[in-house]
Amino acid sequence: MKICAVLRVVPDLVEEIEIEETEIVPFAYIANERDEHAVEEALILKEKAGGSVDVLGVVDEDTASDVDEPLAMAYAKGADNLIKAILSRKTFRRYEVAKGLAEFLKDKGYDVIFTGIQAIDAFAGTLGGMLARCMNLPYIGGVVEVDVQNGTLVVKKELGGGLLGEYRVSTPAILGVVSAERPLKFVPFAKLKKAMKEANIDEVDIEVPEIEGIDVLRYYEPPKPEITLLEGDPEELAEKLVEVLKEVSVL
Amino acid sequence: MNVLVFAEVVENEIQEITYELVGKAKQLGDVTTLVVGNADVSNINSDVIQVDAGEPLPWHYKIVEKVFEKLKPSAILFGNTLTSIDIAAQFAAQLDLPMATMVTDISAKDDGFVATSLVYGGKVLVDLALKSPAVFVVNRGSFPAEEGKGSVGNVEKLSLEELGVSDGIEFVGYIKPEVEDVDISKMDIVVSVGRGIGDEANIELAEELAEVLGGVVAGSRPVIDSGWLPKTRQVGRSGKTVTGKLYLALGISGATEHVEGVKAKNVIAINIDRNAPIFRISRCGVVADVLELVPVLIEKIREAKG
Repeated sequence: MKICAVLRVVPDLVEEIEIEETEIVPFAYIANERDEHAVEEALILKEKAGGSVDVLGVVDEDTASDVDEPLAMAYAKGADNLIKAILSRKTFRRYEVAKGLAEFLKDKGYDVIFTGIQAIDAFAGTLGGMLARCMNLPYIGGVVEVDVQNGTLVVKKELGGGLLGEYRVSTPAILGVVSAERPLKFVPFAKLKKAMKEANIDEVDIEVPEIEGIDVLRYYEPPKPEITLLEGDPEELAEKLVEVLKEVSVL
Repeated sequence: MNVLVFAEVVENEIQEITYELVGKAKQLGDVTTLVVGNADVSNINSDVIQVDAGEPLPWHYKIVEKVFEKLKPSAILFGNTLTSIDIAAQFAAQLDLPMATMVTDISAKDDGFVATSLVYGGKVLVDLALKSPAVFVVNRGSFPAEEGKGSVGNVEKLSLEELGVSDGIEFVGYIKPEVEDVDISKMDIVVSVGRGIGDEANIELAEELAEVLGGVVAGSRPVIDSGWLPKTRQVGRSGKTVTGKLYLALGISGATEHVEGVKAKNVIAINIDRNAPIFRISRCGVVADVLELVPVLIEKIREAKG
């Protein structure tokens, strides 16, 4: 089975992000968490059904080097080929990215393409579903488990509240992963460092079309919480919390 | 203007978010709600088109496309749910329509719309200008449900054959949640841990705090994904909704997907990041390192209880 997993980078929210009216300026980028799960599920499917996994890092010129480590991580876990797709321009619109990627992916013969179901910066579309329409392939998002039975994918999808749905999908197909069926495999630092040295990353330029219809007017911070935040040493804070617990009749 | 709402249906029941969407849509124009399946539509306060096609499936964007051609709506509203987002994204791409996701507000402006989306894990708002017709994927709880409830208007029933759509994805069936050790949705006191707990070994600390408070431990998605707590303990869109007396959030940032599942009467949050979105839904917020504060808090609670 020929498998592809899309891996994007997003601002690291553990670090500060600067919110300017026209753009978001992050301090650092990290792999999109849902895409990390997509890569993991791709590797799990390879274990189950055999074949190969290509990981497609999707970046623009500003973030081109930020995906190197996440790609090496995928290599250390068992990915076969690494590709860095550099978009011709920065865009917040997922449909434009999908159109660009579809052009590149359409003749690669992948049986399954995995993406993360969503990224924290996705306010204008979601990639998986849009890519599916650009490539005329079936799509299911919210995926938490994939098996193969008689050449057909058997997919479990989250429906909310702990409920799952089971579906049969013919290949080729695109799957949007919400979480892999096992925790992300831990890669020791030494192994990652070795992968960073050994991994070969092919680069490809992706032309992103400009499509009208949606514009960003401004970015801004949500209103501050109406409560007063408590700060101080642990002793003092714990005493105040005990008082609050009494107020709400828990103590 | 005509507005189309795509109803959220799970196990043949109309979900609350549908009424929230209908209420908002009525402020924008004349509303038709598209319901896939045979759910009872009598409480939807709009006209309804009901399509006999079983449970909503990802390829049902084709149904929305047919109804769109028929009604020519200016706005199409979907809920930000695991079912509807699949359909919305494919529908928007298929028709090349602008689409806003994680939406918390919509208003008509000039020939189009302005939408507000809550992004970056709840830390940033973005205002977007969209040309009409446009697709909106709206966060749960953004609008009151009351205005969307009432007596249904005209109900038109259609079949897939009449619409002329089909696809290769087959729905096999539902898989119900595992039998739980504890049903966190029914517990009065829930101590919940997020990424800020740092390590699996520190879950013990949360368990000790839950024990002295007479509650149970739950977690946000990163903790469940890491395998530190069972899936049955997940709070949020994918997991359970907690509705008890107290939700004590330890090191949880408060992303939209998580806070959707927090309906407890009192929320207390402890987080090292003073900008964590969880503080916006909290009665009491504490800026502190969970691992430093919780051991002291356990001692103080024990003292208070004598």
